[in-house]
Amino acid sequence: MSKLSIVRKSIISIFSGVFLLLLTSTYSLAQTPACACFIKGVVRDQHTGLPVIGATVLMVGQNKAVFTDEQGRYMLDHICPGSYEIECRIVGYNPFREKIDLTSGHEEDFTLEESEIHLKDVEITAHRTDAPASQPLTTLSGTELFKTRGDNLAESLKGLTGVTSLQTGASISKPVIHGMHSNRVLIMNNGIRQEGQQWGSEHAPEIDPFVATRLSVVKGAAGVRYGSDAIGGVILVEPEELPINKPLSGEVNMAGFMNGRQGVISSTLQGGIRNLKGFGWRAQGTLKRGGNIRTPNYFLDNTGSSENNFSLAAGYRNKGFGIDLFYSRFDTKIGIFSGAHIGSLTDLLNVIKNGEPLVKSGFSYAIERPNQNVLHNLIKAETHYHFKDGNKLQWTIAQQLNDRNEFDLHRPRNDSIAALNRPELSFKLNTLTNDIVWDHKPIGKKISGQIGLSSLYQYNLMNGRPLIPNFNQFTVGLFWIERLVTHGWELEAGARFDYRTLSTHRIVRREKVSTDFTFSNFSGTIGAARNLTQNLSMTLNVGTAWRAPNVSELFSDGVHHGAAAYEKGDSTLQQEKAVNTIASFKYTSSRLTIELGGYYNYIADYIYLQPQPEPILTIRGAFPYFKYTQTNAVFRGVDLAVDWEVLHKLIWTGKLSYLNVYDKGNKNYLVMIPPNRLENQLKYLIGAGTKIQNTYISAGNLFVAQQKRVPENSDFAPPPKAYSLWNIQAGTTIPVSEKNEFEVSLAVNNLFNVAYRDYLNRFRYYADDMGRQVSLRLRWKFGA
Amino acid sequence: MKINRKLTWVMLLGMTALFTQCKDSGEDVAPDDENELITTVILKFTEQGTTNVTTFKSSDPDGEGGNPPVIDNITLKPATTYSVETQILDESKSPAVDITKEVAEEAVDHLFVYTTSPAALLAYTASDKDANNLPIGIKGQAVTGAAGTGTLKVQLRHQVGTKNGSATPGSDDVNVDFPLKVQ
Repeated sequence: MSKLSIVRKSIISIFSGVFLLLLTSTYSLAQTPACACFIKGVVRDQHTGLPVIGATVLMVGQNKAVFTDEQGRYMLDHICPGSYEIECRIVGYNPFREKIDLTSGHEEDFTLEESEIHLKDVEITAHRTDAPASQPLTTLSGTELFKTRGDNLAESLKGLTGVTSLQTGASISKPVIHGMHSNRVLIMNNGIRQEGQQWGSEHAPEIDPFVATRLSVVKGAAGVRYGSDAIGGVILVEPEELPINKPLSGEVNMAGFMNGRQGVISSTLQGGIRNLKGFGWRAQGTLKRGGNIRTPNYFLDNTGSSENNFSLAAGYRNKGFGIDLFYSRFDTKIGIFSGAHIGSLTDLLNVIKNGEPLVKSGFSYAIERPNQNVLHNLIKAETHYHFKDGNKLQWTIAQQLNDRNEFDLHRPRNDSIAALNRPELSFKLNTLTNDIVWDHKPIGKKISGQIGLSSLYQYNLMNGRPLIPNFNQFTVGLFWIERLVTHGWELEAGARFDYRTLSTHRIVRREKVSTDFTFSNFSGTIGAARNLTQNLSMTLNVGTAWRAPNVSELFSDGVHHGAAAYEKGDSTLQQEKAVNTIASFKYTSSRLTIELGGYYNYIADYIYLQPQPEPILTIRGAFPYFKYTQTNAVFRGVDLAVDWEVLHKLIWTGKLSYLNVYDKGNKNYLVMIPPNRLENQLKYLIGAGTKIQNTYISAGNLFVAQQKRVPENSDFAPPPKAYSLWNIQAGTTIPVSEKNEFEVSLAVNNLFNVAYRDYLNRFRYYADDMGRQVSLRLRWKFGA
Repeated sequence: MKINRKLTWVMLLGMTALFTQCKDSGEDVAPDDENELITTVILKFTEQGTTNVTTFKSSDPDGEGGNPPVIDNITLKPATTYSVETQILDESKSPAVDITKEVAEEAVDHLFVYTTSPAALLAYTASDKDANNLPIGIKGQAVTGAAGTGTLKVQLRHQVGTKNGSATPGSDDVNVDFPLKVQ
């Protein structure tokens, strides 16, 4: 027996939010009146297939827990028939939960003899991620992820507490975590930091959510592990492990949306190679077409979109050695609502006064000007070696090519130039990232840790209307994190140093001007996680993160079309530094789960657009003048999620996100902060245990308050009123055969076709948000 | 174990090679050309029945930001009819580009709108028509009222596919307020 296995039962914890345990189960089950059932199985690392030693497997709400032995085996015995939830935890892996039903009516089993073994054999494979153990991590996978299929990345994550989206119309959304977005939220796409033109609020992440089987959100500053920009949080987009040596399997997802008459189809095919041991591969592709979106009272002209994406992956494992290759291509064309184009402040004020858009339209799939055409290519190679003594070395190299083209509403007046149909704005961003991480062997089975070196090299080429300069950027970062597991505590501490150089080149009055910058920063993190009782656990983390001012904050100088504002950058801006304290409590019993989190994020030198007293006069009239400037800001809030089985099979879910942001420097509020939200849902489970499983119907309500904490006279229109939207859903899983399964869901959002506007939709000046949406989703899984 | 160590060194070496990859974005800076830039509006008033020409100009040769535009005061005689010709230029280029011609070519998508405040100071009527028989407003006639002061707002409305003769559709390409004095 390992040392860990003799630790007192009550400690259990030591759970780091760091691994995700995936369950695959093959079992036979039975029922006896006596408490003679048991659950047994093996816990394995999903990546290496090696047994995980010393993992805790516990029955939630029962005073029962065991540790895995040297072969990764565990066994929970003397269990009475019933429905249970088991959880598996170990340092460095995400805790994983699975509902186990030991009551299912296999009537024939009643005839079995007393001595017959009644068991459920559950093999747990542990997937490793690197999220900090003491920070809240929320993951969307399985059925919950299925319910969002066909939505873009930010919309998919919107159901999580503390997460919302910043929209530019209905088709462009960016994730917002605890009130922060763009360069303050880092997205890790399959282990690689996503590098597009994130500074733009109308630049959505160039990621196809169908690539992932898990979408996770790390809330709070996580600068030590992930480097710059992880101020508000980190989004992890993770595909499943490659199916090394596994038979062919796949899935087909289809989604149809009535509003916008949008259709999405995505397929995945994967497997091993029959005569080649150690190989695995996967191919995946998505097609998406949508037309004009309808608000309750009118269509929005030119709001269609199209996407063609695919990804390929292949991997090889041999003993401790492994290599993975990944390529993905994301190609989208998004129409921008033509009524949002304005030439002057007068135009904007006229639209606001009119109350609805001046441009009227019917339904069409055509995407005209203005539009965005974005192509994002990612190629990645990851290789690792597990040394026999427990050390591990991992090296990841990736290149990203982001090609963004934006077409304005108006073609050039000169016919010969117009005939070329060139984009008015074109950005080509090329990024090379390198990460090398050394996981040292556990010291005394109590301390585990890693040291990493990351570099990023990037250059941007810009063409068209002057907006941001060309630039070259080089960043190098070194980090070290250690975790200690002892006496029921999991403690974590880490430090990081980053150094960045930035050279910018632009043309000012026909002369080339080059400006160089250097930034450097220390980050730190310290955190603890502990199980207080069998039902109650808590985490506490204090972490720092930073980001350098981006090129648009340094060099903007002109009218922002669509915002009717003259924006001016400041090349003397300093880096932004955040200190975030985040605490969370979780109570779990068989019928009730409560998750309560609170955070206090202090951001020194927070960069924002400050309104200036005098407008700027141009040939198109006077524009309000905003200048990028720095202040000290505080983001504090509470996230609450409750899951309560009120009556048998009737579940109530409540989610509350509260956020209060204050500009300490100016003793005022900040603009564009998400208003408070409250979500309620009642779900009824039908016919569990029959052939048709996981059948549910649900009804829910989303209430979004009016944002009242806004600075005075900083906006053209007051924040929109509070709104309340109802939704209904129904879904089921139909197992056709052992290796064939259909999952279907039908949902109606904005059931009563309410006309509303959202404060975080940049088009709220021009038009209402989307009206009623009926969506049908279908998934066929085969071969696994 | 030795093999492992070798492997490590190969990986580290490969990495250092990649760290040094380079490309200078400074060699390839695109010129600062904005296709749609308009810097200057010129109004040429010719008193009817005479050859008395007066020209007024609003000019912002460095474009948005930088130095603010310089706008002339318009001074006209009361109760007089003028023929008016409007010209728009991009003076940020050398030589300056006459954008009036391009507007005339795309007359079906453009409309000049002249608004006087107070309205009694001056009444404008376009004398030119586009292919759809809708006014353009490059050429027109202005009749002044009694003496007084106010403003003359000159707008160039860009109305792709939506032009109907009124000012409402589209967006502003030009929006300049000239101080106006009738005396």
